[in-house]
Amino acid sequence: MITLKQIEKYYTLKGAKSYVLRHIDADIQKGEFVSIMGPSGAGKSTLLNIIGMLDEPTYGSYKFMDQELSSLSERKRIEIYRNHIGFVFQAYHLIDEMTVEENIEVPLHYKNISSSERKSRVADLLDRFQMVAKKDLFPHQLSGGQQQLVGIARALAPQPLLILADEPTGNLQSAQALQIMDLFRQLNKDEGITIVQVTHSEANAAYGNRILNLVDGVVTNNS
Amino acid sequence: MFRLNLKIALRNLWKNKGYTFINIAGLSVGMAGCILIYIFISYQLSFDQQYANKDRIYRVVSYWKYSDGEEFQNGVPRPLAYAMRNDFSQLEEVAPLQRGGGVVQVMDEAGRVKMKTDETVFYTDPSFFKIFDVKWLAGTPEQSVTEPNTVAISRKTAIRYFGDWQQAIGKSIVFKQVNQLKVSGVFEDQPETSSNPIQILLAYSGFKHRQLKEWGSVSSGTECYVLLKEGMKPADLAGTMQAFIKKYYSDDSDVKQEHFFQPLSEIHVDERYGNFAGKTTSMREIYGLAAIGLLLLLTACINFINLATAQAIGRSKEVGIRKVIGGNRKELLTQFFTETITLSFFALLLACVITEAVLPALSGLFKDELNFSLVNQPALIVFMFALVLFVGLLAGVYPAVVLSGFNPVLALKNKVNVGNSGGGSLRKVLVVMQFAITVVLIAGTVVIVQQMKYMREKSLGFNSSAIAMAYLPNDSISVTKFDIIKARVAALPGVTSVSLCSVGPSSSDNRTSNFSYNSTKDMDFMVNTKAGDEDYFKTFGLSMLAGRPLAKSDTLKELVINETLMRKLNIVKPEDAVGQYITVLGEKVPIVGVVKDFINKSLKEGVSPIVLYNAKNSMSELAVKMDTRQISTLMPQIEAIWNSYYPNYVYSSSFLDDHIRAYYESEVIMGTLLKIFAGVIIFIAFMGLFGLISFVATQKTKELAIRKVLGATTLELVNMLNSSFIKLILLANLVAWPVTYILVSRWLSGYAYRIDLNLWPFMVAMVISLLITVLTVSLRTYQAAMANPVNALKNE
Ligand SMILES: Nc1ncnc2c1ncn2[C@@H]1O[C@H](COP(=O)(O)OP(=O)(O)O)[C@@H](O)[C@H]1O
Ligand SMILES: [Mg+2]
Repeated sequence: MITLKQIEKYYTLKGAKSYVLRHIDADIQKGEFVSIMGPSGAGKSTLLNIIGMLDEPTYGSYKFMDQELSSLSERKRIEIYRNHIGFVFQAYHLIDEMTVEENIEVPLHYKNISSSERKSRVADLLDRFQMVAKKDLFPHQLSGGQQQLVGIARALAPQPLLILADEPTGNLQSAQALQIMDLFRQLNKDEGITIVQVTHSEANAAYGNRILNLVDGVVTNNS
Repeated sequence: MFRLNLKIALRNLWKNKGYTFINIAGLSVGMAGCILIYIFISYQLSFDQQYANKDRIYRVVSYWKYSDGEEFQNGVPRPLAYAMRNDFSQLEEVAPLQRGGGVVQVMDEAGRVKMKTDETVFYTDPSFFKIFDVKWLAGTPEQSVTEPNTVAISRKTAIRYFGDWQQAIGKSIVFKQVNQLKVSGVFEDQPETSSNPIQILLAYSGFKHRQLKEWGSVSSGTECYVLLKEGMKPADLAGTMQAFIKKYYSDDSDVKQEHFFQPLSEIHVDERYGNFAGKTTSMREIYGLAAIGLLLLLTACINFINLATAQAIGRSKEVGIRKVIGGNRKELLTQFFTETITLSFFALLLACVITEAVLPALSGLFKDELNFSLVNQPALIVFMFALVLFVGLLAGVYPAVVLSGFNPVLALKNKVNVGNSGGGSLRKVLVVMQFAITVVLIAGTVVIVQQMKYMREKSLGFNSSAIAMAYLPNDSISVTKFDIIKARVAALPGVTSVSLCSVGPSSSDNRTSNFSYNSTKDMDFMVNTKAGDEDYFKTFGLSMLAGRPLAKSDTLKELVINETLMRKLNIVKPEDAVGQYITVLGEKVPIVGVVKDFINKSLKEGVSPIVLYNAKNSMSELAVKMDTRQISTLMPQIEAIWNSYYPNYVYSSSFLDDHIRAYYESEVIMGTLLKIFAGVIIFIAFMGLFGLISFVATQKTKELAIRKVLGATTLELVNMLNSSFIKLILLANLVAWPVTYILVSRWLSGYAYRIDLNLWPFMVAMVISLLITVLTVSLRTYQAAMANPVNALKNE
């Protein structure tokens, strides 16, 4: 599903290239659950953002579902992105001015899904995450774990093939973290959604079936 | 999506209630100003536009080029209309429109006079109504304005005379004591927005004048309207016009006379010619107002942009998220425009309320019937929606483009700093611009106020206070009663002096004549002629430079000239002028005195060359100088004396001071408007400043707290923020000064008598702008600086 070849990313600081990622080669198959690990500043988030098309590599080839991304138009890329990728963040990143229900609904608006279809999908997700009673609350009225559940629900709303999660449990207590990880496992197993997560915790990494170790922008271990 | 965006927009607005209020308040005041200006301008431009043929209707006007100037006239020589009807095949219709006036007596059933009024009448012929499609309620133009013994009246006049317009047909009125006229037509009232306020119409064939065939004399009471044939342009008539002028005017004169076809739409807006309604609003004023409207809108939009970009920082996260979950730039743009357009729509609602409230005051100022009814003015609805779209888009475009252009990754890390990414400097530019506009307006207003004061206080060269001017009929019988009336009025206790005259020293009624001096050939300029008797100089307090005032006389026997004429005749010493001869008004007469220059028109114009003479049949006014304290008791007595000699005429009088004040009506209006709109713009600008400072203060809460922990005093913190704004305001002043200088000098150059531009207006503008800035900034930052630093730092 994802093929990275010789991906490089550097920032030019005062004329000098400062490399964040170097010679990254990686393959991620459909249905995999991959964890990216490594010390702080190693380039994990950068790599995830490149995979998620939020950022572009300075060099190298990135094929998503056998299409070379650099050859696609901006419009086409957004199209792929909208339909297939969902993001989950450490800081949840919900829109403060929107209720739970509306937050989940926004990506569906961008996909031009009909009103009735939107309503039913949002209702399903609320139901599934046991948030029906909270659907009219605003993010600041929820606990961290609940906010992250909304974040995941929002990522799932467009029915993506791939979920990218950047330290999704980084701000959560362990009980809530467990719940989120269980949810990821279930999504991966039962629905075949491909998941790539960044994590610091060995325990979280263990939920996945593969670990990508990143040190100073280089993949040291791809097990 | 639209509904959700709208909902979010509303929530966002509600969340930032303070800014929303500032935004809406500033914007709605600006919009209300624009709507008012729009209503006013569209009213002015709607004059004479109600006729089906309006694009083909032209008025023939006159123009003279002298060696030292030019003159514009709405009037044409009396024989012109019918000559043009013969000579111009390109014209479908030509109609004379002659103004006249006199006393109208309305009779009751028994033949007794039941009403006596002084009326303005118009003479024309049926072709006038082929040009202007006026609705006739009864009768036809052919029946009514062909024969000299018939009259047509407007619906309003019919009701006034006979109580009901259906009753009017067949009734009789007496015009000027002797003309028995039968009402044979009633036409619909002309709207307020008409340059020809026709109430009473007589047949042109009944118009009598001794110069009916005279091409050398032009009165502003004689107009001529033409209807061009379909497809013709005035330019197509130029050749014919040249031949026409050659045919009727001798070309040995130094004065070059021309006639132009003035489009109907320009009659109300070209103040050089004037019209029968006596109402003009020059394009200069219209453009001036439109510019003020634009400035208003601009300041309001700048507020909006400033506040929205300041808010953008707070919204970068939302933008980041929206991008991450699939929103593209276009959708974000739509979202932000939805917000700004929603906001401007609310502002519009509020603006409508403000407009409704202010409109009566505005129509009072213009003495016009302005109304704000959406139903009758679909164009106004279109204008208002265009306004909402314009403001929404203009105000939204910058924040929308900046916000939607955020890199999502950076936005989510809260690393977008609008301050550094151009938004901050743009905001500074906008603030400077806004304040530059404000400074220009403040300084401009100060200059206008100074000039008005100067004109009020400037010595006119004669005494105008407590002088009543009473109208005198001057037919041959009335003239015989002048002396006795004058004597009786002069005998009233409290009356200081009485003079018979044609007009006062300063008047808008100026009669000019050609004349010759030391030659048989006419001079290449005209003189202003004023008739005044032996008491004229005393009554108006005119002072002589040489010779003596006019002596008692019934006919033109001698002249007094003014200084300006003396100089134009190249006479250096006033004494030398006395004893010279001038041929004017058909007589060669000696100069007996030179009078010191007095302002004979408004202060906008210079002094004309004038000859004063004493001749009874030129007199048409009685000037009565009184003791100020006795004016109210004297006026009825004067009226009673007048009525006892002229029972068939209608008394009317006015004060010279009021008359002089009327010259400056448009200055008073423009001055008032400028003061109001300058006030509004200042209000908007400072509203915006307040909003902006609030943002800066909120953003700097943490910085202020840290500084405080490090030992800064509250005052030092307030000063720190003040100094950055003061720099901007000083810069704005620097930008504004040259602009103000150029604009104001140009405005002042329209006055022959004007103040010297000094530093004051600029200083006043600077002090006001600085003062308000310091006040606003201090007020807002004091709160932030006073806050307990621990609270601010704990939040992190
Ligand atoms: N916009 C940027 N400009 C310069 N350097 C950056 C930028 N963004 C990230 N970096 C650098 O790239 C490196 C990797 O960052 P990141 O991918 O966030 O690391 P991780 O998520 O592994 O902690 C860091 O050293 C960071 O300083
Ligand atoms: Mg990271």
